[in-house]
Amino acid sequence: MKIVVGIKQVPETTNVKINEKTKNIDRRGISGVINQYDRHALEAAFEIKAKTNAEVIVMTMGPDDFVVSLQEALALGADSAVLLSDRAFAGADTLATGYVLSEAIKKIGDVDLVLLGQQSVDADTGQMGPIISEFLDISQVTYASKLDVEEGGLRIKRYLENIEQDITAKLPVLVTVTDQANDPKYVNIVEIAKSFEKEVTTWHASDLNLDADRVGQAGSPSVVRSISSPKEVVKDNYKLPDNPQDAADELVKILKDKNILVEDK
Amino acid sequence: MEFLKENWIFAEVDLNKVNPITYQLITKMNQISELPVTVVLVEGSSESLEEDIKEYGPDKIITIKNDQLVQGNDLEMTNALDTLIEKTGRPNSFVFAATVVGRSLAPRLQARLRTGLTADCLDLHFEDDGTLVQTKPSYGDNIMCEIVVPNHRPQMATVRSNVFEAKKLNNPMTKVINITNLKVVQDKQLTISSKPLPQESAESITEANRIVAIGRGDKTEENLTNAKRLADKLHAVIGVTRPLTDLEEFDINDQIGQSGQSVSPDILINLGISGAVQYTAGISNAKTIVSANTDKDAPIFKHSDYYYVGNAEEFSKALEKALQ
Amino acid sequence: MDQKTISQDILLRMVKAFVKNEVAPYDMEIDHTRSYVNNLWSKVKENDFLSLMLPEEYGGAGFNGRTSAKVINEIAKGNASLAVTLEGHFKSVDQIVKYGNDELKNEYLPQAKNRIIAFSMTEPSGGSNPMGINSHAEKRGDKWIINGDKIMITNGGLAEIYCVLVKTAPDELSFFVVDNEMEGFEYGKQENFLGLTGVPVGEIVMNNIEVDESHLLGKVGMGKEIGDSAHDDARVLMGAVLTGIMEHELDLVTDYATHRKAIDTPIIQMQGIQRKIADIAISKETTKLLYQKAAWMKDHGQDYEEEAAMAKAYGSRSAVKAGDDSLQILGGYGYSLDYPIEHLIRDARAMEIAEGTVEKMRTAIALKEAESRA
Repeated sequence: MKIVVGIKQVPETTNVKINEKTKNIDRRGISGVINQYDRHALEAAFEIKAKTNAEVIVMTMGPDDFVVSLQEALALGADSAVLLSDRAFAGADTLATGYVLSEAIKKIGDVDLVLLGQQSVDADTGQMGPIISEFLDISQVTYASKLDVEEGGLRIKRYLENIEQDITAKLPVLVTVTDQANDPKYVNIVEIAKSFEKEVTTWHASDLNLDADRVGQAGSPSVVRSISSPKEVVKDNYKLPDNPQDAADELVKILKDKNILVEDK
Repeated sequence: MEFLKENWIFAEVDLNKVNPITYQLITKMNQISELPVTVVLVEGSSESLEEDIKEYGPDKIITIKNDQLVQGNDLEMTNALDTLIEKTGRPNSFVFAATVVGRSLAPRLQARLRTGLTADCLDLHFEDDGTLVQTKPSYGDNIMCEIVVPNHRPQMATVRSNVFEAKKLNNPMTKVINITNLKVVQDKQLTISSKPLPQESAESITEANRIVAIGRGDKTEENLTNAKRLADKLHAVIGVTRPLTDLEEFDINDQIGQSGQSVSPDILINLGISGAVQYTAGISNAKTIVSANTDKDAPIFKHSDYYYVGNAEEFSKALEKALQ
Repeated sequence: MDQKTISQDILLRMVKAFVKNEVAPYDMEIDHTRSYVNNLWSKVKENDFLSLMLPEEYGGAGFNGRTSAKVINEIAKGNASLAVTLEGHFKSVDQIVKYGNDELKNEYLPQAKNRIIAFSMTEPSGGSNPMGINSHAEKRGDKWIINGDKIMITNGGLAEIYCVLVKTAPDELSFFVVDNEMEGFEYGKQENFLGLTGVPVGEIVMNNIEVDESHLLGKVGMGKEIGDSAHDDARVLMGAVLTGIMEHELDLVTDYATHRKAIDTPIIQMQGIQRKIADIAISKETTKLLYQKAAWMKDHGQDYEEEAAMAKAYGSRSAVKAGDDSLQILGGYGYSLDYPIEHLIRDARAMEIAEGTVEKMRTAIALKEAESRA
């Protein structure tokens, strides 16, 4: 079985603020890490690899320093890595990014399973999985909470708001993975050096069969018009009396008068 | 390309019931849309959920009755919606619920139509030329982005639950169109079997009308018991702040805020919660907020309709008594 | 990016995540229970922390001094005890790498992955004065017979392998490597220390332990040199521990001062508070630069004795003072056993004594200054 795991390097904390001067997100002093959900996708791949001897290829699109995350994935147990890096990819939205990733997966060829985290913790879109499935023209199972490999494919548990789904999927298929699916391991310290025996391949735009109109900013229908800090909601606030029982009695009276508390509700 | 001058909403149906987010989207769209508002409803052949939807007064409901599609295969549904849009023309916008279903289906359709989609929106408005301005949080709600899709249609978005109010209309005039002849090609790759999730003892906090929320200060066994007694008395559900998810009995589904759930109860009672932004991001749609905290400067008070400065536990006990 | 930078980045990412999930949440519990709770110790082993600076040829990760010190810094931010336990192991491994013969290295270095190695000099009769010790080794045929009593050993009881300082002649000091599986090896009393309570500190007793010649570290008479070398290593890493403690203090105190209000103003806006916090930050950064410089000099084969002494002497007093100031800012919370500030002071205080007192550091620094001008 050949598995491609798509990962993203994200800031180590989402606790970011907008810089008053630059009006942009202030990322000073914040280093990158593998998106937490993607660690679960990697772990899912490694679990399948342990059972089936599958080949695990890890892939990301981004600037050259994303190579750290690929190398980390190699140290965790991936067999090889592909970095998609080109100035032409800059400014891509989800659609343009998904297009490039899907073309890279096509170039690898004969991929049976594509695994992604359910979403990234920075952009929070969760769109990449369905977009790549569509461009690869394969079936998708998103938000998998449990994956088991079985004869001819996968067995997946998935939870909707009020529904539990038991899905059997034939290969090829794309699956996005939740943080319920497994417990990702830490990189073993000694394995880091050994991982350099494995290869990180860089593909530029010219290495892929791309339609120039569909990549980067030009290929992105979405435009970010502005960013801002979340507004705090200010309410009219009424201070209740200091004595707890007086406070409680007054509150209950007010709530009943306003029909907020109705006896039989 | 000729566009259809309508704004569309995808009706989310689970367990043969319309998810309330659909009603919230209809009410919001009715408020902001100059163009007719159309709901696309996919339901089983024996169902008539359009009757429920009508009460919220969209201009039109397109009903596709198909027992295969309701199985919930994203690829099959994408094919069906794509076929529908080929017939009708591309609407100005097409919004979905930011639920597991919506967040899976919408991006696949987006890729099929090669247009823009904004996930998990907290606000929407139209500009005069029909541009849909979509406000989306990123970095775990720490940053808000305004996103537009200038040159592609439909402008797609998924919208978070409980951000907008749902209001029934008196005498709505809703046209229902039944599509019966839609060809659905079965996706043989997946076999999906669905069953209702086992009923949890209490309803989920996202749907609860009354919530008693407890914070870090209330982590002791005794305080928990008190809060639970108050919740019982009020027929409320317990919600927690993040630190309490460390306890065995609470998890992310009980957690209110940034990385937890957005709630929209009629009444929310905060016991010993200071009101960090991560928390208050999740309570902005609570209609009435009551908070008790010993710190007179607790930020939560600014978000509260009524507040009590003092011991939250004593207040909770007093409230229990006042409700006798 | 080169392999070294990438490896270091991956390592530090891993360490940060490990500290965040497995160490920091248990900081108070480790202090209160005097043990590495929640299976922490097996997790440390599983992820090969013990092999961090062990050369690759012995199955280690082979990270250099500077990177290892940064790791110790990160760990100390979560829990200083664990950082000191690792420091004790690293400096011991380092001496075997540096002074051990091939036979000794081949026997013990591959084991350093799973078994802690400790370094022990102090005895009831002498600590900072090594000539005051009574332990001794006697040559019989091609074997050495070791007798003596070693106390206050960092990781004593937890460690399984010990580098012990003994007399091989009335005025000749030498180091041997002994193992808890050897006949005549016994564990003694555990200390009950004020701070760094997670670190086991204990005694070993050696009764006619018989070792091969290969267990001699370096040559006979090299005891002082090896001891000094271990001290230098330890002092650099202690600078890293102290930096971590001050970072922890800064996190606590800035968070508190930002949220705590007096008359509607967060106390961080008040000059008196600002001065204290700024001084903690300056001390933290100074200690960091000192240990990183010393580690860099070590990695580049330079004499770093003075810089190592400075990192420890400056860092330990600063961290205690920073803790005291933090306690004052937090007021009642700072004084509470339910908040971490008080144990950070106790932890930092240990490092004004261990691995050479601050007085001894100043002697070393002064003599180096004089020497460089002579």
